[in-house]
Amino acid sequence: MTGVERIIKALKREEPDMVPHMELGVDRKVREAILPGASYKDFVEKMGLDGNVIFDKVASWSYETVDETKRIVRDQWGALTQFGSETIGHPIEPAIKSEKDLDGYVPPDPDEEWRYESLKKWIKRFKGDRAVIAHVTDVFDIARESLLGDVAYYEAMIENPDLIDRVNKIVLDYNLRSIKNQLELGADALAITGDFAMTNGPLVSPKFTARFLIPALKEQVRLGLSLNVPVFKHTDGDITKIMDMLVGTGIDGLHPIDPMAGMDLGEVKKQYGKRLCLMGNINCGPTLSWKSEEEVRQEVKEAIEKAGYGGGYICMSSNSIHSGVKPENYAAMIKAIRDFGQYPLDLD
Amino acid sequence: MVPEILESLKDAVIKGKRDEAVGFTKEAIQEGIKGIDIIKEGLIPGIRTVGELFGKGEYYLPELLVSGKSMQSALDIIEPMMTSKGESFTVGNFLIGTVKGDIHDIGKNIVIMMLKGNGWNVTDIGVDIPPEGFCEAIHDGDYHICGMSTLLTVTMPAAAETIEAIKEAGLRDKIKIMIGGAPVTQEFAEKIGADEYAKDAWEAIIKAQRLLDEIK
Repeated sequence: MTGVERIIKALKREEPDMVPHMELGVDRKVREAILPGASYKDFVEKMGLDGNVIFDKVASWSYETVDETKRIVRDQWGALTQFGSETIGHPIEPAIKSEKDLDGYVPPDPDEEWRYESLKKWIKRFKGDRAVIAHVTDVFDIARESLLGDVAYYEAMIENPDLIDRVNKIVLDYNLRSIKNQLELGADALAITGDFAMTNGPLVSPKFTARFLIPALKEQVRLGLSLNVPVFKHTDGDITKIMDMLVGTGIDGLHPIDPMAGMDLGEVKKQYGKRLCLMGNINCGPTLSWKSEEEVRQEVKEAIEKAGYGGGYICMSSNSIHSGVKPENYAAMIKAIRDFGQYPLDLD
Repeated sequence: MVPEILESLKDAVIKGKRDEAVGFTKEAIQEGIKGIDIIKEGLIPGIRTVGELFGKGEYYLPELLVSGKSMQSALDIIEPMMTSKGESFTVGNFLIGTVKGDIHDIGKNIVIMMLKGNGWNVTDIGVDIPPEGFCEAIHDGDYHICGMSTLLTVTMPAAAETIEAIKEAGLRDKIKIMIGGAPVTQEFAEKIGADEYAKDAWEAIIKAQRLLDEIK
């Protein structure tokens, strides 16, 4: 079975030949320590990852340098973004400072061909072999972080909901066109990332989640499904209170069933395993960052025991392989997935 | 008995009604109520209720932020008036920043908002602060508590390095240390020698008060 077949089968809640593995991203430092000199694509192939997500912020967004020393850039939405230790930057000043700014606002053009060059290269190399996964950052994430800024966005949800509808629509329009373009090029699945929750629960109330977050997510999911690819959503945090809403958007898969927020993989499997492919859950905090390789191995075994039976589980980290992950722990995780993840499972 | 106008002010803060909070504050001043009493009997009970509702999962970030803004709008009226009369109201002095490598500040800013709302004098040294930055601020200032935040797993070791640097600089006995942020746990806080861990802004307020009581 090829990697892409494994991923697609798992996303369709079926049982492949073995539990698949991929990541939302593997940091360069970790890759370099495991396979010195290998490109990202070589790493995916040599380490036997079953797929790769072509992350929009890295592959298809444009940036303009503002301050090289401080690593500050202006992202394509107009927000100032600063890069710290991770591949993805953190917005420090939003594009829209008052509602007036929005009247003359010109959003980026998702139909520019250069945006899809990276995706095309991945498709050329891996089509039919490993899953090449299209990606958009969710509307809530971009509209909040890049367009209005966290605080202004949250305040406007209560004080000026029309403003939220306006900015959400701008981003949704971009994302829908981007999704269509990526899937028409031949991507095998669609990933939509962006947190709806934090460790203690949803970022906004279930009522606001339903009013402001879910409709845009649903439209993106619907477009992906209508173009015949499975769709999965990533959100960190404790999503218990909004789980039914997320499932109701029609997603095939959900990542990462965040262990640091107390999400229990076994419980989620029991409740939603028939409707959802579960993805992730290997703790990229303590387990992958500083625990022993044996502890990593045990955690992988337990995750497969909880979610692997009957298929519908893709073993991944609980966010991504960030720069703080111990390379030997990530290598141990991949090996453990192979050792314990062969179907039919035999974990006694 | 708390004057009715302060009950209304408290209610305006809880509901996040900024215009009402400003209006009731002005009315209270006109009625001759002292600034310090407006804070103690109107604003603090209001923002404490908001914190409790947040802690119980009934309020979320939007509600917390609009309530904080309402409280701040009221404080903007009261504080200059108190300063001109030589009055002040401070529970304690709190130093806060995010550790080296971490540039995320929304969590820190929410904690600051809640601390200020509960009468703390807060000094924000910003984001991506190296251990020596914390040491210098502790050395030069007069703080009861130092709060450090790390949102990323990858920057957690920087929190440990900061506490180590504070010890090496001979400043550890001068200050209590609190730590927070998404990947942080009680276990981690104990391991690196912090005095308290807070899982959210409301817990930070409760635990800061507890540490202050120990000091005093």
